[in-house]
Amino acid sequence: MMNNFWRYCHLALAVSSFLFLLLASTTGAILSLEPVVERSKPFSAGNLEEITLAQSIPVLRDKYPGLTKISVENNQFVLIEGTDKNGDDLKAYIDPKTGEILGKPDAKNEFFQWVTTLHRSLFLHETGRIFISVTAFLLILISVSGILLIVKRQRGIKRFFAKIPNDGSKQYYHTVAGRLLLVFIFLIAISGTYLSLNTLGIIKPFKAGVEVDFDKIKSGAQINVKDFEIFRSINYADVHTIEFPFSEDIEDYFILTLQDKEIAVNQITGVVLAETKYPFSVLVADLSMKIHTGRASILWSIILGIASLSILFFIYSGFAITLKRISKRSKNKYAKEECVYILLTGSENGSTLRYASSVHSLLLKQGKKAFLTSLNNYSVYPKAEQIIVFTSTYGDGEAPTNANKFMSLVNTTPQTQQVNFSVLGFGSKAYPDFCKFAFDVHNLLSAQNWAKPLIDIHTVDERSPADLLLWQESWSQKANISFAEFSDFEKENQKSLNAFTVKSHSNSGDTILINFKPSIRNKAKSGDLLAIYPANDHRERLYSIGIVDKSIQLSVKLHENGLGSGFLNRLKPADRFKARIIKNPHFNFPEKASKLILISNGTGIAPFLGMIDENKNKISCHLYCGFQTASSFEPFKEFLSNKLRESKLSKLNVAYSRAESKQYVSHLIASDSALIAENLLNGGVVMICGSLSMQKDILVILDEVCATQTNNPLSFYQSRNQILMDCY
Amino acid sequence: MNNIFKVSLLVLALAFIKPNHALAQTAKYKCMIQMTNYMGEGAYIVISLINAKGAYEKTLYVLGSDKKWYNSLKEWHKFNAKKPANISAITGASLTGGDRGVSVIEIDKSKINTGYKLRFESAVEDQKYNVKDLEIPLTTESLSAKSDGTGFIRYVRFSPN
Repeated sequence: MMNNFWRYCHLALAVSSFLFLLLASTTGAILSLEPVVERSKPFSAGNLEEITLAQSIPVLRDKYPGLTKISVENNQFVLIEGTDKNGDDLKAYIDPKTGEILGKPDAKNEFFQWVTTLHRSLFLHETGRIFISVTAFLLILISVSGILLIVKRQRGIKRFFAKIPNDGSKQYYHTVAGRLLLVFIFLIAISGTYLSLNTLGIIKPFKAGVEVDFDKIKSGAQINVKDFEIFRSINYADVHTIEFPFSEDIEDYFILTLQDKEIAVNQITGVVLAETKYPFSVLVADLSMKIHTGRASILWSIILGIASLSILFFIYSGFAITLKRISKRSKNKYAKEECVYILLTGSENGSTLRYASSVHSLLLKQGKKAFLTSLNNYSVYPKAEQIIVFTSTYGDGEAPTNANKFMSLVNTTPQTQQVNFSVLGFGSKAYPDFCKFAFDVHNLLSAQNWAKPLIDIHTVDERSPADLLLWQESWSQKANISFAEFSDFEKENQKSLNAFTVKSHSNSGDTILINFKPSIRNKAKSGDLLAIYPANDHRERLYSIGIVDKSIQLSVKLHENGLGSGFLNRLKPADRFKARIIKNPHFNFPEKASKLILISNGTGIAPFLGMIDENKNKISCHLYCGFQTASSFEPFKEFLSNKLRESKLSKLNVAYSRAESKQYVSHLIASDSALIAENLLNGGVVMICGSLSMQKDILVILDEVCATQTNNPLSFYQSRNQILMDCY
Repeated sequence: MNNIFKVSLLVLALAFIKPNHALAQTAKYKCMIQMTNYMGEGAYIVISLINAKGAYEKTLYVLGSDKKWYNSLKEWHKFNAKKPANISAITGASLTGGDRGVSVIEIDKSKINTGYKLRFESAVEDQKYNVKDLEIPLTTESLSAKSDGTGFIRYVRFSPN
C-alpha cells in the first residue's frame, strides 16, 4: 500500500539522518539569529529605493575622492571602500544621501563564524560538506514524504488545512506542526542542497563578468556623473556593488553588479559599454542563499529559526510515536489454537490497539483464554467462540495498514465452527467516512454463514467514554463478562440511577407494552436506551425506548425465565423502579433527513413509535415491520393508523412470519429495493431496529441494493449516518 | 653575467636612491587585483616584498582575515611564523572568482628600482596553491603597467595614491 511505503520512507529517512539533522537544525536555529543581530546594528541607510546613483555618487566622490567601491549589504547597509585624504584605508557604512559615516564594520562575529563552519562542514572540510549535503537532500525527501502523508491523512490536497481533531497526542502535534512548517523545511532543505552542491562544485553557477571591447570605447563630451542616464534609473535597492574606475583613463570604467545583471559604464560619457545578464543558475544560487540564510528579511530569518527548532521537535515526537507504536505490541499468553476469545485489531497508530489490549488483559485476568492479533493475521481459530474486532479507519474510508488484507482473508479462510462476532469501530465524526472500514468488516462478517453477530456494531467517536461504555455494557451483557474492574466511569454511572413510575402495562401474547414516566425531568429521546438492573447487581439489561406524549414507551418480548423481561412483566401500574437512560445519539430521530425508512421486527418497533410521533415536519416516512402473527401486531395497530391519518407516517408495511404467507420483513425490503435505493441516493436515512438475525438478512439485501442500484458500497452510507442500526 | 648584472643594478640603485632618500621615505600605491572566474571559496592572497636574493623581506598586504587558513599560503606562512609582524592594519577581505579588490600598499621608495620584487601568492581552500601567482620586479615601469597573473589572479594594476 502506498501509504505504508511513504510512512516507512519517512521513518527510514529520519532514522538514517537524524544525528546530522539534529546538528544542522540546532546550528541552523542559532544562525537564524545572525541576520537579526546584524540588522539591529545602526547602519541602516533608510529607504534605499528612494536614492538613485545619480543623486548619491557625486556627493560621495566629492567627500571621498579615493572611493573605489560601494557595496550594499543585505539590501540595507551601504558600505564604502577606498582611501581617505591621508591615503589610508577607508572602510565605513555611510548614508548614501549625505555621505555621513554611520559606523565602521567590525570583524565578523567569531561565534557565528564558528557555528557557520560547523553547520556547513562539521569542521571536516570536504567530507563534512558531503555529509551535510546528503543530509539536506534527505531532508527534502523527509519533507516531501511528510507532506504526502498529510495529504493522505487529510484525504486530498484541498483539505490540507482542514481541521484535525485534537486528541492531545504527539501524533496530533506532529501532524499539525508538520503541515504548518513542512513547506518552510522543504525550502530550507532544497536551498541548502543547492548551496552545498554549489560549493562541492557539482552545480557550477558561472559568473561571466562583463567583457568590454576596448576598441569600441569612445570618448566624447564629458558629462557630469549626476546626469548619467543609467545612474538616474538605478536606485540603491537594485545594487549589489559599484566599482569605481581605477584611474581617470577612458579605458577604466564603472562596474555595477545589480540584482540580475552586471554592467560596465563609461566614466566620461555615461554610456553603457557592456551588459551581462546573470545566467539562471546564478539567480537560483542567489535565491537559495537568501532563502537559506534569511539575510534579506528579519521576518524570514525568524521563520527559518522556528522551522529549525521545529525539526528538533519533529525528531523527538516522530521517534516517540514510533516507539509507542512498537511498544504497544502486547504479548499473547496462549497460542491462538487454544483460545476462545479472538481479538482482532486494525489500527494505524495504536490508540485502538490500546483499548483492545486492555480488553485482552481483562479477559486474561478473568481466566479466559484470549488471543490478540492484528486483522491481517486472521486465520482459522479452532476453539474460537467469539471474535471481537476493534478497528479504526484510515484516510478515505480505507483499511488501516495492518488490516488491509483482512477482507480477502475472510473470504478464503472460513472458521470451522459457529463463531459469534462483534465489531467496535473507532473514528472521528470530523471525517465523512466515519468508521467506514468497521462497517465493511461488520457487513462482511454478517454475510459469512459461520458467523453470528453477538451484538450490533458499535462505533466510538473521538474515544468518547460514553460510546465505549455503551459497547462495554452491551457486550458484557451478552458475553457475560463483567467489566466491573475495567474502568472508573462505569461505577460512577451506576450510582446515578433515576426513579421511574409505571403508567400503564399491558400484555398481548408474549409482547409486553409498558408506559412509564421519569420522576425527574428527563431529556430522553426515542432511540435512547433504558438500562435496568433487575436483580440489583451488576447485571444490566438494555432496551430501546420510544417517547410518545412525553412518556417512555417500551415493548419487550417475554422470555421464559428471562431476567429482564420477567422483571418488566411483573411491574404493575403505579409501581416505581430504578433505572437509567443511556444516551444513544446515533439512533435518535435524524433531524436533517429528508426521507426516512424504518425497518424493524418484533419489539424493535418501540423506538420507531416515538420517532414517528416526533415527525412534526411530516417528512416522507415508510415503516417496514415484521411480526410473528397478527396478534403480536395488534398492540401497535391503532397508534400507527392514527399516525397515518396525521401524515406523520406515509406508508405502513407489515410482514407476518407465522401467517400463511410466511413473510419476513426482509421480503418486504427486497420487493421495495428501488424505493430504498432512491431514498439513499437522495440523502434519506434508513433505520434498522430489531434482532441481529433480522439485521443480518437486511444487510445482505441492502448490500446488493447499494452495489447494483447506487454507485457506492453499503458502508459508504453507513459511515455517513444514512444507515442507522440498533439491534440486539 | 649574473654578477655583472647585479653589480650594475646596485650601482644604478645607489645612483638613483641617494638623492631621494632625504625627501620621502615611502610611497602609497593603489593596487587592484582582478580575479579569474574560478569556482569555489574565496582566495587568500598575500602581497610580499621580495629582496634581490629571492627571500621575503616584508609583508605588504594580506587579503583574507581568518588566520586559520594562513597555513595554506605555505611559503609565506613559514616566513611569517619566523618573523611575525603585526599585519592587522594591512589585512582585507579575501576575493572570490570574478572579484576585483583594491588595496593600498605602502612601499619604501628606496626599494623601487633596486632589484626588489613584488610577489602575489595565492591559495584557495582545497584547491591550488600558487607561490608565484604573479611576481614582478619593483620598478617604476611595472608600477604603471598591467601585469597578468598565472593562477587565480587575472591581472594586477597599480596607481599612485
